[in-house]
Amino acid sequence: MSAGTPRPTPVVRAEAAWPEPGDGPPTPLPGFVHSAFNPLVAAVADRCLTRAYGRAPAPDGERVAVVLVSPTGDEASAARVRATVAEGGRPGPLFFFQSVPNSVAGHVAARWGLGGPVVCLAPAGDPRAAGLAEADLLLHDGDADAALLVLIERAPDDGGADSAVAVLLGGGDA
Amino acid sequence: MVERPGVQLTGVHATSALGRGAEAQLAGVLAGVPAFGPVRRFDTGTRRVDAAATLPQVGGLADELAEAVEAACRAAGLDAARRARSALLLAVHGGSHVPRLAGDLAAGAGFPDVRTYTTACVSATSAVADAAALIRRGDVERAVVAAGYLVEPDQYALFDAGRALATDAAVRPFSAGRTGLLLGDGIAAVVLERADVARRPVADLLGWGRAGDAFHPCQPDPAGRGLSRAVTAALRRAGLAPEAVGYVNANATGTSHSDAAEAAALRTALGPAAARVPVSSTKALHGHALEASGLLELVVTVLALRHGKLPVNAGWLGPDPDCPLDVIRDAPRPAATGHALSLNAAFGGANTALLVGAP
Repeated sequence: MSAGTPRPTPVVRAEAAWPEPGDGPPTPLPGFVHSAFNPLVAAVADRCLTRAYGRAPAPDGERVAVVLVSPTGDEASAARVRATVAEGGRPGPLFFFQSVPNSVAGHVAARWGLGGPVVCLAPAGDPRAAGLAEADLLLHDGDADAALLVLIERAPDDGGADSAVAVLLGGGDA
Repeated sequence: MVERPGVQLTGVHATSALGRGAEAQLAGVLAGVPAFGPVRRFDTGTRRVDAAATLPQVGGLADELAEAVEAACRAAGLDAARRARSALLLAVHGGSHVPRLAGDLAAGAGFPDVRTYTTACVSATSAVADAAALIRRGDVERAVVAAGYLVEPDQYALFDAGRALATDAAVRPFSAGRTGLLLGDGIAAVVLERADVARRPVADLLGWGRAGDAFHPCQPDPAGRGLSRAVTAALRRAGLAPEAVGYVNANATGTSHSDAAEAAALRTALGPAAARVPVSSTKALHGHALEASGLLELVVTVLALRHGKLPVNAGWLGPDPDCPLDVIRDAPRPAATGHALSLNAAFGGANTALLVGAP
């Protein structure tokens, strides 16, 4: 896709990663079970938004979007549900509530008062490029003045844990 | 001030338990007979509920999506050369198979790239809004949005465990006595084009809006504030007053608190017009197609508007004081105006509104 007319580039208002030096696993998230995916999203988003705003809620939150980018989503929870169902069992009800990435995005939005669009993407290509493109489009289109972008990186195949980056983007100057 | 280009829907295709193809959807919703029945596709023996709206003969998700994209492109006259310069946006449930599914769909259908949305029940409508924004910004002249969900055992078990499924085998949006939603197959694809290059307009996409509740991970704001702001944004983009809206195809899933929140949102966004605009939720006929629901409902809305008849809200038992709306009951109603809203809401407090007009 080619760009149209030149336009301002969103500016980075705050950025965070998980883990950063000294971090262990993210703190468990009440209401979410089994998987590290949701605590990781919440932890990196909290760190980024704390750097931007100090504490919740965000004073300009009503027009801040949440864009969550993960190529495969919460694979650990999906695998647990698949195995339970294949054995004829009943998944726990909390797995219903965390069956889509929207739920933890909504947790972040509720905690920080972010009332912009909630968008979850599963890109086949570069997650950061896909997330930046989505944030840029939402800001340009006018349903948000800023966007919290959360990028989940899968753990390498040789072990280790998933990692994440969060970036708060605002409209830039021309 | 430069006038912003219009966006039109030029090819629409959908498949659900009502049948295959766009015309089958129109005929099905105007007939008003719900498509729910016992689930034959997989064993529901250990579930609380045994009902869904499924097609008896259905292919795999990848094949069904490819067929839908081809049908919509054919209807719009979108040839290989045009597809190579167009955007493809896909809405499906997330998972480890998704990047490959999306990549294969784009490559097979001749698109240079694909954006994939896993935003639960507003996946498809978020994609439609973004497609329109890409066209209006000048990135592309054309975009295709495809979406698919076929009822399968894992999501079925999750909705059953979450006690979200209707216990009386019927979906009763906005009605007293509603007990929940039922899942349904849904595969759909639509072509959007900049109005000045569109050759076969089916409908105008006049406005769109997306907004969040900032309320709870998976419960809607009882006041419907996010959905209300999405409707307001769609009206503003369209440059229309609430009185111009002649039909609302509601998100209403038949879930107690969710339907009431939507009624509150409509009252806030439309004001006094909310009590007069005809409303129905076609989920009571074709079921809830999750990530694909919004695209299936957009196709139904557009076709009903063109046909001039508004589908019924099946399953009605009686009024609910928390949902004081003009719900279409008993028989299809003539379209009052040429403009309609299609609303969707999802976990995470995500909401979308699409505003279409007869061309």
